[in-house]
Amino acid sequence: MMVSSEFLSVMVTIALSITIIAPIVLIILWIKDWIKGQLW
Amino acid sequence: MNTVNSAVLDANTGWLILAIFSVLWIFLGWLWGRKAKQLDDFMLAGRNVGMALGIATAMATWVTSNTTMAAPQLALQLGIWGMLGYSLGSVGLMLFAPLARRIQELMPNGYTSGDFIRLRYGKTAWRVFLVISLFYGLGWLISLGMAGGVLINALTGIDYQLGMSVILAICVTYTMLGGLRAVIGTDFVQTIIILVGIVLLAWLAIDRVGFEPMHLAVLEERPELLNLLMPAAIMFLFNNLLFGVGEIFHSNVWWSRAFAFRRDVGFKAYMIAGIFWMPIPIVAGFIALATPALNLNIPAADMVGPMVAAKLLGFGGAVLVFIIVFSALASSLDSLLAATSDLVLQDIYRGHIRPDANKEELRKAARWVVLLLGMITWLLCLPRLTTLASMLYFTGAFVASTIWPIIAGLYLKKASSSGAIIAMLSGTVLGLWAYFAIGFYVAALVSAIISMAVVFFSMWLKPEQFEWARLNEISNKQAGVKFS
Repeated sequence: MMVSSEFLSVMVTIALSITIIAPIVLIILWIKDWIKGQLW
Repeated sequence: MNTVNSAVLDANTGWLILAIFSVLWIFLGWLWGRKAKQLDDFMLAGRNVGMALGIATAMATWVTSNTTMAAPQLALQLGIWGMLGYSLGSVGLMLFAPLARRIQELMPNGYTSGDFIRLRYGKTAWRVFLVISLFYGLGWLISLGMAGGVLINALTGIDYQLGMSVILAICVTYTMLGGLRAVIGTDFVQTIIILVGIVLLAWLAIDRVGFEPMHLAVLEERPELLNLLMPAAIMFLFNNLLFGVGEIFHSNVWWSRAFAFRRDVGFKAYMIAGIFWMPIPIVAGFIALATPALNLNIPAADMVGPMVAAKLLGFGGAVLVFIIVFSALASSLDSLLAATSDLVLQDIYRGHIRPDANKEELRKAARWVVLLLGMITWLLCLPRLTTLASMLYFTGAFVASTIWPIIAGLYLKKASSSGAIIAMLSGTVLGLWAYFAIGFYVAALVSAIISMAVVFFSMWLKPEQFEWARLNEISNKQAGVKFS
């Protein structure tokens, strides 16, 4: 059962999208925590 | 076929990058760790870590050099399932989320995973658990220390012993300076670097090669990599899943974070960290599938990531991979140093040598324990014995045996002390037997199944009625119960 080119592209695109979003979310959360004085 | 030299950077560039990042990590470690004056600040970052730092530290610790280097290797060896199997390592993080909440509820003043086993199952189980946990901790430390030397050598040509010594010295220095505060602070920066770096590499692979030519070339040269029914890869998937769960459930690396996170943060931080971690092995690993399309000859499978990056990006790609690998190594080494030192300090020094030690004495001893552990790791890594690095593979049988005693101990009053001890011992022994008699891919599986059977059988045979309040040690002390 061979994986198609479409399957590969969809799988990698979803993974890449989450990995792009992750640092953005982390930085936004860091700023929110910092403003509220809740980093530590 | 093009053959890229195995060292993708020259030694001078390697030293320059090492110097820049060494200064950065030590400075940040000092900056964030200088407020760690009290024991709880040093060991548990003040027990008030917020969401952003909580998610980042869980992610960074779980992204080791293995993730960034072995994910492409696994994609090259096991294809699609290699990447997907590796990404299932995130299940352990997500399953630990409810446990983190439960740990915070039951043990608001706890310090280590050893504390839980001691209070829940008694001294004998505690000592069995400590042997397993310290064996695993030391095995992982040696594996990371050696990986640091080997990777720095492979990427830059810098001598193994020099590279290994430098990375260990950096991590020991800033962990000594600021304890878990320094570790968690630097983890945030390292997470951002790793994520941005692997996104850039994957993006370039798609842009320069494209899915269609990549797929076509793999189909022609290595069609088995696209086969969803590759048996070895499917076995790897299940073993990796259980090994990961066992590693996370028992290791003080994750328990110390559960104690360190603010009360409302633990569950969400582990859950989100798992979701964000899941795609990393796919993004980092998929670039290996570009190898046939790029016409690259890979002399060693573990160098596929840096070689593809160097081919796609030239000098800049090699530098980027080196920075990613260096960040991944440091983020795991520092966490493991801090958590294993906590275990040695709380469960060996205080638990067995100085039960009456006060917090001030422990705070002073904490730095020396970090240094001592760093030196032991350095000495064991020095001879570059590959048999020591492979020690980590054995630990699958050890750690998987602790999964059920921990779950049952946290949620079921009936779980008994004798059941936990027999479960850990029999799981480990039979897991090791399976490792040698069948193969590495079943060690964790056999260990977990045996351990589960023993835990539940002992609950049926001789149930205990544990009182959850006994896990709160501060209340125990007020009631006159001694440490051990």
